[in-house]
Amino acid sequence: MDDLLADFLTETNEGLAALDGALLKLEKAPDDRQTLSEIFRNVHTIKGTCGFLGLARLEKVAHAAENVLGRYREGTLQVTPEGITLILSALDGLKSIVAGLESTGSEPAGDDAPLIAALDAAWRGEAPALGAAAAEALFEAAPEPLASESPAPEPSAPAALARPEETEVTAAATPAAGGGPITPAQTIRVSVDVLEDLMTLVSELVLTRNQLLQLVRARSDAALTVPLQRLSHITSELQEGVMKTRMQPIGNAWQKLPRIVRDLANELGKKIELVMKGADTELDRQVLELIKDPLTHMVRNSGDHGLENPEQRRAAGKPDVGRITLNAYHEGGHIIIEIGDDGRGLSVDKIKAKVLSQGLTTEAELAGMSEREIQHFIFRAGFSTAAAVTSVSGRGVGMDVVKTNVEKIGGTIELRSVEGKGTTFFIKIPLTLAIVSALIVEAGGERFAVPQIGVVELVRAGGSVEGAQIERIHDTPVMRLRERLLPLVSLSRLLQLDQRPEEAGQEEGFVIVTQVGGNVFGIIVDKVFDTEEIVVKPVAPILRHVTMFSGNTILGDGSVIMILDPNGIARATGVGADGPTDELAQANAMLRGAGSGERTALLLFSAGDGTPKAVPLGLVARLEDLPVESIEHSGGKILVQYRGKLMPLVPMSGHWTPPEPGRRQAVLVFNDRDRAMGLMVDAILDVVEECLNIEGASEQPGFLGSSVICGKVTDVIDCSWWLHQAGDDWFRQRSEVAPFRLLLVEDSAFFRHLLVPGLGAAGYAVTAVNSGAEALRLREQGAMFDIVVSDIEMPDLDGLGLARAVRAEGPWRDLPMIALSGRMDHDRLRSAIAAGFNAGLGKSDRDALLAALGDCLAAQTLA
Amino acid sequence: MSDRKTVLCVDDSRVVRKAARRILERHGFSVREAENGLLALEACRAEMPRLVLLDWNMPVMDGMQFLGVLRAEFGPDEPLVMLCTTESEFARIVLALQNGANEYIMKPFDDEIVAGKLVQLGLLEEAEP
Repeated sequence: MDDLLADFLTETNEGLAALDGALLKLEKAPDDRQTLSEIFRNVHTIKGTCGFLGLARLEKVAHAAENVLGRYREGTLQVTPEGITLILSALDGLKSIVAGLESTGSEPAGDDAPLIAALDAAWRGEAPALGAAAAEALFEAAPEPLASESPAPEPSAPAALARPEETEVTAAATPAAGGGPITPAQTIRVSVDVLEDLMTLVSELVLTRNQLLQLVRARSDAALTVPLQRLSHITSELQEGVMKTRMQPIGNAWQKLPRIVRDLANELGKKIELVMKGADTELDRQVLELIKDPLTHMVRNSGDHGLENPEQRRAAGKPDVGRITLNAYHEGGHIIIEIGDDGRGLSVDKIKAKVLSQGLTTEAELAGMSEREIQHFIFRAGFSTAAAVTSVSGRGVGMDVVKTNVEKIGGTIELRSVEGKGTTFFIKIPLTLAIVSALIVEAGGERFAVPQIGVVELVRAGGSVEGAQIERIHDTPVMRLRERLLPLVSLSRLLQLDQRPEEAGQEEGFVIVTQVGGNVFGIIVDKVFDTEEIVVKPVAPILRHVTMFSGNTILGDGSVIMILDPNGIARATGVGADGPTDELAQANAMLRGAGSGERTALLLFSAGDGTPKAVPLGLVARLEDLPVESIEHSGGKILVQYRGKLMPLVPMSGHWTPPEPGRRQAVLVFNDRDRAMGLMVDAILDVVEECLNIEGASEQPGFLGSSVICGKVTDVIDCSWWLHQAGDDWFRQRSEVAPFRLLLVEDSAFFRHLLVPGLGAAGYAVTAVNSGAEALRLREQGAMFDIVVSDIEMPDLDGLGLARAVRAEGPWRDLPMIALSGRMDHDRLRSAIAAGFNAGLGKSDRDALLAALGDCLAAQTLA
Repeated sequence: MSDRKTVLCVDDSRVVRKAARRILERHGFSVREAENGLLALEACRAEMPRLVLLDWNMPVMDGMQFLGVLRAEFGPDEPLVMLCTTESEFARIVLALQNGANEYIMKPFDDEIVAGKLVQLGLLEEAEP
């Protein structure tokens, strides 16, 4: 491209951008001569310069617009909102031609005659409004009939009429007078490449400075110390200065918003005021670019969905003019951008209806959610509250895209909404992607930086017996953290820095718990040093395919280290990758086990016959590989000294002959507070995630049935049966006489299989049904129970519905009822109690269930 | 000094300045630029050019104001001023000529037009291409 054309494009785009704002300013203050002459000059310059490049279309449109502006300036034509609309549509015409010019290098074909005719008509003083609508129709891909029908914006004409034509003062006659911002800021244009190069050079300089400092420190050469300190100081300042050149006020990203809001208001027949605060808050230009589109979208959303039309607002006792407020400010190393409106707020009911109709969740789950959780559905993929798709909202971008974009740059988005009062979004983004706060760690003798934003927590592993331990399932390291099994990745192994064979249980180090999307996993490192503000330098192109690194950096001591990318690590290892993105579903999946169709982490092992065996990993506390010598036979029982206590062992194969000394015995440890028992197995095979569909109850005691796992028929063991075999008082018989009759309502076959044997072993006579309707049928048939245990989440009639039905009438109305849920949080518990349950608890907590059963029945007997 | 082929190009548009610079340099002039009247005055005070190519509409100080100060400060003869304008400013051309401009030229100008005007001002030999 000719560099004259390139200059033209830059200059004209700048001019057009400035014009938008200036015209809106003029609309508000039609007799602001200074603004008017600035507008005139700008259009005039565009017209004047296009001639040099032979840009006929641009020149004609600009010329027609200039004529109208000329009459405004002379004062022979009244500035009206309609006139401004017309000029704005001329600007749009110019912009679209410039855009075409930019992409193809020549003016695109097109007919500007109607626009020019409208401008000429206005210039002659004829009614411009009709022409404006026609012209606008030409430039909008989809003409909006609303535009011409909507009430005209607030008439500002009276103000203009009140001041009849004054004698024309040449616009810039008094350069310094009036106190207006006449002197432009002293700036020069520098290409971004130059700035980037400078940044690189400064980083190099820092590196060299650091090396020098180390050299001098070693030699304590007094003559060098002072100038070196100065050098060091200046280098730091230089670095800071160069960083500053990359910063731009966020107002740059807001420039187009007033125009967008104005058009939006006209289009929708609403009155909208846009308030912008903190426009001079600075952030890195890279971040600025990335945040621009999401912001625009959110402002549109606020105007379209958030604000009501004037009638609705009046009805709600609010002023006609809706307000959208943008506010930006610094907080820590972040910038917070608030996008707020004083509109109708998010309607929880509407969201619920929408969520249900889209099948994003079930009614039962919704019932247990807080208002905030429900509001957050608007960030879910495919969600949109727009009841009718308007031309504004129907652009195919949802809040999910906004959220993704914000998260991509390491930001977060939150919202606060009060129905009837308005909605405010809070976007928190790092000031710059060039400097991040990072944790410096060491693995395999090498140091690495992990961006703080990806670090959830830091856990020290090994060392003390009490602390968290790195365990090994087959070849996969895992860690049990607050009743969750956390998959681990050893950094040194992943990067092949450490080729030594590993010894189970011998590992010590730190685990960096990291979250990627909804997946949490741990990265094992040897040492953790400190957090540092690091300057991110991009990975050299030759290393781009190594996705585990997001860049490199120079540390204070001058060494160059790689910055780890948790996303890349998750991808490289498969840990936590490709999981469902829904954090809520994900959060407890490990311990929740599986309903039908849900994936469960299963531990595969072999014992006795050749058929592989499986047990949900969530039920296993530890995996041990015990030396045979430590296992003792005592009084018909097999015991082992385990963590200072005697732990009973049960051989899976039914009998156990001590193998020759020196061998080791694999044991699955099941834990229950201070008690533990071990199941002796032949070998641990693997950990897999599978959908567990147990087919046919097993005839064989100790097995729930079989399931196809990894293409092989696998026996799924019944933990409770084996626990019972330990002979310990795991499930103490509660009643020696007539056992309590317990009705278990649970739609998941898996949980029925899991709970029934345990409850049976604890002395209950269990009847299990798979739905609420089935349970009510039993009631109609005259069946009677002592207690009801029901899952909350079930299709059709859920647990809450069942409880209400039971409490409403019939012989069961006074039965104690216990609610079970995959995740029993506070809200859920509250709604369960409200529905009539006596207690509620998590499914996986067998012990708590037994305790609750005891409590409820005891209360019942006393009553 | 008056023999030197120096031009000060005053225009707020970088595009126009660049276009003018190309043409003028082709004819052997050395070109300086200023983006408004005030900066142009400073340039003149620092080193007087042979010719000022002057735009009308500029921020800070426009062409007419510049012309007024220039003539008041340096007299009517030096430097030569060629007003650079568009067809919609006829009234102003007259005004500019009354106020001491020596010549005017229409935007957009090309090599031929500029050369013709330079010859008229006596800054260029007719024979030159």
